[in-house]
Order: sequence, then C-alpha cells, then structure tokens
Amino acid sequence: MKFRIFPREFRDKCFTASCMFSVCLMVFILVVVLFPMMARGLKAVFFQGTNEFREMQLVVFGHGDAERIQRENGEIEEARAFVYEAANRFRRGIDTEHLADEVRGAYRDYGSYLRAAGISGERYSAQRARAKDLRDALLDAFESRDKEYVQSRLQCVLQSRADPDFGGTPIEAYFETAESYSRIAASVDLSRREQYAEAFGEVREALHKLFGPGPGEPAPALTMDQYGATRWDAVERELHRLLWSEDWVETEPGRPMVKETRARREFFAGTELEPVFDYVETNLEKLFQPRFTFYWRYFMDGSTDGHYFGGCGPEILGTLALTFFSMLFAIPLGIISAAFLVECTGDNIAVRVIRTCINTLAGVPSIVFGLFGMAFFVLFLFPVIGEFGHGTLGIFSAEAADKLTKPNILAASLTLGLLVLPVIIRASEEAIRAVPINYKEAALALGAGQFRSFMTVILPAAAPGIFTGIILSLSRAAGETAPILFTGAIAFGPVPDSILEPTRALSYGSYDIAVGDRLAMLVPHKQYGMVMTLVALVLTLNIIAIWIRSRSSRKLRGL
Amino acid sequence: MKKLLSAGIVVLLISLVFVVAAPREGTLLLEGSTTVGPISDAFAEAFQKMYPKVSITVNKTGSGNGAAALVDGRCDIAMMSRFMKDKEYKTAVTGAKPFLPVAHAIAMDGVCVIVYPSNPVKALTREQVRGIYTGKIKNWKDLGGPSQAIVPISRDTSSGTYETFEGLVMNGEKMAANVEYVNSNPQAHSRVKSTTGAIGYVGLGFLDSSVKALEIDKIMPTRSSIAKGVYPISRPLFLFTNGYPELGTLVHEFCTFYLTEEGQEIIEAKGFVPVTAY
Repeated sequence: MKFRIFPREFRDKCFTASCMFSVCLMVFILVVVLFPMMARGLKAVFFQGTNEFREMQLVVFGHGDAERIQRENGEIEEARAFVYEAANRFRRGIDTEHLADEVRGAYRDYGSYLRAAGISGERYSAQRARAKDLRDALLDAFESRDKEYVQSRLQCVLQSRADPDFGGTPIEAYFETAESYSRIAASVDLSRREQYAEAFGEVREALHKLFGPGPGEPAPALTMDQYGATRWDAVERELHRLLWSEDWVETEPGRPMVKETRARREFFAGTELEPVFDYVETNLEKLFQPRFTFYWRYFMDGSTDGHYFGGCGPEILGTLALTFFSMLFAIPLGIISAAFLVECTGDNIAVRVIRTCINTLAGVPSIVFGLFGMAFFVLFLFPVIGEFGHGTLGIFSAEAADKLTKPNILAASLTLGLLVLPVIIRASEEAIRAVPINYKEAALALGAGQFRSFMTVILPAAAPGIFTGIILSLSRAAGETAPILFTGAIAFGPVPDSILEPTRALSYGSYDIAVGDRLAMLVPHKQYGMVMTLVALVLTLNIIAIWIRSRSSRKLRGL
Repeated sequence: MKKLLSAGIVVLLISLVFVVAAPREGTLLLEGSTTVGPISDAFAEAFQKMYPKVSITVNKTGSGNGAAALVDGRCDIAMMSRFMKDKEYKTAVTGAKPFLPVAHAIAMDGVCVIVYPSNPVKALTREQVRGIYTGKIKNWKDLGGPSQAIVPISRDTSSGTYETFEGLVMNGEKMAANVEYVNSNPQAHSRVKSTTGAIGYVGLGFLDSSVKALEIDKIMPTRSSIAKGVYPISRPLFLFTNGYPELGTLVHEFCTFYLTEEGQEIIEAKGFVPVTAY
C-alpha cells in the first residue's frame, strides 16, 4: 500500500515544486529586468537639476519662474566669472595669433587717429615709425619661444610708456598687452605652447559641456549645445573630464596599451589656469545651484531633436490616439464577429475554416500586419477613397485627399485594429459561449427577439470575459512598433491636429532613440524614461480596464 | 442601449472634430536612412523655428524604404546614405507616376574603423581589414598587436553603412561566419568599447575617447580628409526628390538648407562633414 502511494506523492510534490519554481522565475525576471529599467526611467523625472536645466526649461519650453532664474543666473555668472577670466588670461598666452591681430589693428587705428588729430607731414611719419617699432617689438615677443628675448622685447615696449605722444591713443593698449604678456611669459613654459594649446582645447570643451557657451561666444546651432550640464550626474561626469586627462600609452611594442590618468592641475601647474581646477571642484554647488527636481512636465513637454532635452508629451498623446482609434475599430467588429460565430451559425466546415483562419491570424508576426497595412491602406485603399471623395463627390479638400496618400493615424490605427482583432474575437467568442443557455432561453421565452436577447441578456453576462480580451489587446496595441512603422509613426514632427496626419508614438520613439543617433549614448535616462512611460501607460490603461470589468461583473452579480 | 448610442455619438463627434480641424500651411514628409535622420531632425527643428506654421515630419526606416517611399509617393523627400540603385531608378522612371529622382548630396560621412583604445595597432590597410572580416587574419599578433583573438563586429546587412563598407572594403568578398552583426551604430560602438579584441566600424559622429579610430591606407579619418574624399571609406549622404524641386517651394528650401551657414553648422554639430568646406 505504502509503496503505491509514495510515487504518487512524489509526483505531486514535484509538480508543486515546478509550479512554484516557474512562478518564482517570473517574479525574479520581473524584479531583475523591469525594476532596474523603471528605476532608471524614473531618473528622467526625478533628478538633481542645475540652474542650466531651469534656464533651458524657461527658454525652450517657457516654464519656470523667470525672476528667480534671473536672480540665480546673476549669482552664478558672478561665480563663473573667475573661471572665464583665468581661462581668458591663459588663452592670451597661448593664442598669440589673436594677440598679434589685435596689435596690428591698434597700429592701423593709430594711423587714422593721427590723421583725425590733424597731425601730418614729418611729425606724422616720425610718430608712426615709433609706433611701428613698438608693434614689431611686440610681434617679435609673441613669436619667440626664448623667455629672455621675449622679456627684453617687452621691456623695449614698456620703456615708451611714459611717452606723452602715446597717452590716450590706441597705442596705449600696447603697454597693457605687453605687461600682461610679460606676466604670462614668466609663468607659461613657452616651448610647450603647442602642448598647452591642445590641452587647453580639451579644457575649453569640458568647460563648455559644464557651463554652456561662455560669455561673448556665439550661440551654437543646436539647442543641445546651447546649455551646459543640466543634471547633477552630468556635472559630475564632466567635472571628471575637466580635472583628469586620460591617455593610452604604449609600454612596450606588441603589448596592450595602458590607460594613464593624469591630473590636469599638475599639467597646468604654475600657469594662470592652475587655480581654476581647485576653484571649480570646491565651488561646484555654487556654480550650479543644484536642486532636487520633480520634472512632472516630462509627461507633457515636447522634445528637441534627438530627444536630448524635454519630455515625451507628443509620444504619449500619439500612443493614446492610436490605441483609442484602433480599439474603436476593433472592439465593435470583434464582438459582432464573435456573436455571429456563436449565435448565427452552426458548426459546419465553413465556420471551422473561419475559426482556424482567425486563430492563425492571431499568430501572424506584427511586421506582416505593418506591411499589409502599408500596402493596403496607405498605398491602395486611402488614395482611392481620397480620389473618389475629392474628384467625384467633392466632399474632401485637395489637401485631405493628399494626406490620405501618406502614412497617417487612421491607417496606423486600422492596422493595429486588425492586429488585435483575432484576440478580441477569440476572447469574446469564449465569453459568449460560456453564458448559460438558459439565460437566452429565458429571454426568448419572455418574447425578446434574438437581437434583443443578445444585447440585453447575453452581452452583459459575457462582458467580463470580453473585457479580458480587450485588456490584452489594449496593451498589445499600445506597445506594438512594427505595424505602425510604415503606416503612421514618425520619429520627429509636430503634434497632429487631425487623424489624417502621422504621429509620434512611445514604442517607435524608444526604438528611434536606441538606433538613430549618437545622442542616445549621452542621454540614457531619456531612453529609459520613454520605456518607463510606456510601461506605466499600459499599466494605467489596464488598471482602468480592470476596474471597469470588475464593476460590470459586480453589477452582473447584483451587488 | 441609450447609453451605448450616446457614447457612440460622442465618439463619432470626436473623430469628426479630428478630421475637420483646420489644415496647416506647408507640410513636408521625410523618410529613409537612420544615418541621415538626425540631420533631418535638426533641420526640421531649425525650420520650425523659422516658420512656425510649417510642419515637417521625419521617419527613419532605412535607405531602401526611403527610396521605395519616394517612388510610391509616400514621402516628399527620401533620405539615403547611399546612392539610388539602378533598379530603384528604373521603378521610379517606369512606375505608375513616372519621375526622375534627383540627388542632393548634403553632407559627407566617413565610416571609421574602430578598436578598443588599449589596442596598440594604429593603422591598417584596406586589404588587412578585408582579411579580418573574411576570416583570414584571426589574431592581432599578425598585425603588430598583442596576441589576442580578433572579434570582428559588423552592421546588419540591410544598413547603408554596411553597404558602404562592403563596397569600399570588402570588394564583393563574403564576410566570415565568426563576424558578429549588430543593428545600429550605437550598438557597434558599445560592443567595441566593452571588448578588448574587438574591431568594428561606425560613422564619424560616433568617435569619442572610449574607442580608437584607425588610419586606413595611411589616412586618418578627420573632417578634412573626409570632406576631400581622401579617406578611403568616405561616403556622401543624400536627399532624393521627385525631380528637381520647384524653386521657392518648401522642398527646395529644405534641400538647399545645407548650403547655408546654419545648415553647415548643424551638420557639423551632428558629427558629419559639410560638403562645402567653409
């Protein structure tokens, strides 16, 4: 007896264990995959925003307290002035071409100044000749790498400082230039000028990434380059790039190279730039005024190109519109087809074939629907309708007829509707079939017709089951990319104002960020943010649908 | 029943409002290459700033689909990272609505061969790269590097970048079975960034400090070498239109925007090389 029970018990336990294992696996996958994704996505909404972020929001999207931002910017500009001044002074030592241009310009100005002052003849030539000597001395100093020679040439210039002939003339600027350059030449190793110039280029780039374009710099063409680091994590990343330089150096031929990280502070030691690094590092908070930001407008704002700034408002709207119109098409059609299959036909070969077709349709890959939608709706049906409506009937405008020939929301929702139709039909069919036959019999006995008994008795009773199908297909319609790829989804464009225009969508937007641009590598939080939004949206739609279902089923039970 | 009816009427009204809403002035639909797409995105943004009433939509589905869409009349401008094939030209010329596609080369792009930054190899010839991708060269040791297996990474065969690489480097030879295929430039970049023995190819805009670009045939991929077309794996990026656009139209302005200073700045900021070396 005992021997017979044991294997049975063992089998049962195995079965229970494997069930538990698969449930645990599901939960584990949810936690491991979905949770980090959602957590990263939330970073698009909750983060430490800097003043750059607030300014960008104000300028690009028109949100925020303008006065407060202006006040903040005043403080921040003051704090940043030190950095820019030091960088400028350093640059004068490196970028001598720029200095030489200035000096030449001052010389030319001096000529016109003399003429304007009414000096001519010999005195004019003599004074110009002396100015020319000074100019050439300065130019020599800029060109040379020899410290002593530079200083001697600069001294030549500075000796003429007391000369009353030059007081108040454009030449006066020479003395200031000579003095500052003499200071620079004392601190900068002139023979390393090229190295400095290269390293300074990197520093300037890092400063641009941190602070945005400096004062007096022209605004860059792209919005993304017009602002500095808008988030605290970006600030920290760029700060690292400012403070440390990374190089790959060869140790011996044929071996992998080794990464060498060096502090820029040491590289620029002794120069005007040296204090900048400490200054930025210690005053980081003052330079950015980071504040915890709840960017709820992420769900409403549009975005700049490549989704670099802004949110996913148009995408959410588009996804909702696509889902709404596809459901509008699929739900009535699905229920009617199911009703026909259950109520109006028997079980003959034709019905069986139809049922098999529907089942097969449910398993067809979504890209097939996308291609079908493009070929049938966009290329064939809509142009014909547009032509007929515009040319023959005259009820459409030429513009509407033209829009019908291009991808649009209507075509995309119809394609999505076709995609989910089989699911709805199957679910509705099962639900209607599950309604006890005596419900219908009772209705018929009371004198109701077939239509009336279906609408008032069977349909309400089947509603919960039908809703299950709708919930499933709703999520699918909201999340599909392939069917809308060719029929109505776009990567960039305005918010549509009719269903005859294409729209952005969350699913296609996530794909676009992932494959399109190098920007995706710079703003991963936007990518995760969009995925998070899509998951959250589908969840919300589901919760609403489940709520409606539970209400309808409660009504049915007479509660 | 009444509820259902009223709900139906409300829904109908909503859709009617959507349909009847006023039309906008000037629309432009672009379709095609994922490489050219970002430029068009930025151009579109600049246009929207200039003309708030104009609406420009960009869809990135690949060069091939761009050509097909232009032929079908599904878009106004096709973005392509390669020239139209003879076959595509033929369908355009002999189709239901025959027209002659016109190319506008708006920017240059270089396909840069990249390796992990610790790799001491600095330069390769095209034959060597071909050798790697056909499986003849399997170890970095043979190229003057450390003894390490080469992990070749390629773009998927439907991308324009692949076609450029195949045409200019592979000379019609087939890639070996050990080549790994990835779907996009960012993916190729991140795969090389994280694999010490990897070699891959991406557009110029994807170069940064986490990967190292190699000299090909002794020429480094830089803005000037690509603009001049000296760099051996350079390619122009195109916009294709239905005939030459009528002067003064939106299409015409869009297709010539790359000639303006702003257009060139945008192209450069997006990591490509303007054709007009300003």
